[in-house]
Amino acid sequence: FRFKDSLAEELRSADLVISHAGAGSCLETLEKGKPLIVVINDKLMDNHQLELAKQLHRDGYVLYCNCSTLVETLQSMDLSALKPFPPGQPEKFASFLDKVFGLQ
Amino acid sequence: TGGHTTEILRLLSCLSESYSPRHYVLADSDKMSEAKIRSFEQKRAETFSESQFSLDRIPRSREVRQSWISSVVTTLYSILYSLPLTYKRKPDLILCNGPGTCVPVCLSAFLLGLLRIKRTIIVYVESICRVETLSMSGKILYYFSDYFIVQWPDLKKKYPKSVYLGRIV
Repeated sequence: FRFKDSLAEELRSADLVISHAGAGSCLETLEKGKPLIVVINDKLMDNHQLELAKQLHRDGYVLYCNCSTLVETLQSMDLSALKPFPPGQPEKFASFLDKVFGLQ
Repeated sequence: TGGHTTEILRLLSCLSESYSPRHYVLADSDKMSEAKIRSFEQKRAETFSESQFSLDRIPRSREVRQSWISSVVTTLYSILYSLPLTYKRKPDLILCNGPGTCVPVCLSAFLLGLLRIKRTIIVYVESICRVETLSMSGKILYYFSDYFIVQWPDLKKKYPKSVYLGRIV
């Protein structure tokens, strides 16, 4: 399919996700605890998109490759080496704002 | 728009009812965010029955990768457009996370502050996508916000006046 409102269903039943470097895709996948290989499109070098993918890779949460190395990555991948992705903590933000407004 | 809306709703998720009523400002061209916001507020109303919110739309101030010069013109127009809205709502707090829409709203509030009409606290949270560089909105609002929050340590190093709380979305 080309476009769907939500991939939540597909994500739930997947064992491995191969995705572009879009932040939404990466984070949604990681939050569902699925192993993720991020494929960078060398020709569409949107640098800002790469920042997050590179950082997630540096931190050991995702595997990372480009279109030409995808097959080789799939063949040699060790998914167990990927670290579980801890959820963000909006409560820290709430706590911070409460302090700003003296609401503690 | 899309990702920004998802992020900001996550930021709102842990806020108490002191942060009420909530006035959402959207770009007129944004088709998807309204549904997400209504869904969020509906869920919230299940816990907090007195929950109140509103939605306003303003012209989109800048398209992605729009040229610098035309951006200045369209942003100025959007600031003028936002002034009556900001004046009407006189918010105590403006919370934003980077879409072009937020710049004119924040600048109009900043202006109302300078004119001693209303002092609004401006809190900017840079998107989680921004690890090493700030967005255009971030670069501007770094100088106009009261609190500028970043989600990765590299940015905290580059922008020392920012606040780093780790990942908050």
